[in-house]
Amino acid sequence: MKLNEAAVFKWVVIVGVAAALIIVVTLLTRPLVGSMLGLVLVIAGGVYAYRWMRQRWR
Amino acid sequence: MESATVAVGHGHADHHHGPPEANDSSRIDRQTLGILLFIVSEVMLFGAFFASYFFLRVVVDPPSWPPHPYELPVAVAGMNTAILVSSSFTVHYALESIRRGNHRGLKLGLVATWLLGATFLFIQINEYVHIGFSARDLGFGSIFYSLTGLHGAHVFVGLMLLTFATIRAFRGHFGPAAKDHLGVEVPGIYWHFVDIMWIIVYVTVYIL
Repeated sequence: MKLNEAAVFKWVVIVGVAAALIIVVTLLTRPLVGSMLGLVLVIAGGVYAYRWMRQRWR
Repeated sequence: MESATVAVGHGHADHHHGPPEANDSSRIDRQTLGILLFIVSEVMLFGAFFASYFFLRVVVDPPSWPPHPYELPVAVAGMNTAILVSSSFTVHYALESIRRGNHRGLKLGLVATWLLGATFLFIQINEYVHIGFSARDLGFGSIFYSLTGLHGAHVFVGLMLLTFATIRAFRGHFGPAAKDHLGVEVPGIYWHFVDIMWIIVYVTVYIL
């Protein structure tokens, strides 16, 4: 089990980069496009987080 | 038979005092498991507030968002976001320092994190003072103050935890072994959670 602060910090970076991408897309297009991208990223992030958690728990 | 049982019972009592030993079958220490379970419950709490936000914004569907004539200080909040994200880096630096046995780095990282967190909270309170609407102004005002206020309360709790961790760091309570710096590790995990939640709140409330 390697679930510690360093592992959680990695998620701060992941969420930060994803948020920066959404902000840029929203400012370049429309809030609706940014929202759609956000939704896609949340779903993709959720799947990745689930697999990541299962791997960490071993 | 009865005397044998009594004898075994007495033998056990001689070797062990206090509560029974904790079960070590879990692959995670109790403190970290505790904060993770707490964070899961917090995610649900924030989820309920986000559900209210999106209900007001999408289902009620007002003509404009934010409703005229209200405006949100996007730039100031963006700067505040940068400050809070920076504080995650400093708390990570503090923990990396103590993992290498660098006590000075631990103290420096914790103090920097505390100052950045306090600055974030100060700017947010200043924003509330100058924003020009209150929690009584439409559903928009209510949900804005609810979401940002809920997060602000979490920052305050995080600052309290960091205060205790910093005091302990200056008293030399922590060491490089993983079990010897759980008092920083657990507040660090909580602080990262608070940071991630703010990034989501900022993007949702101020940008989208």
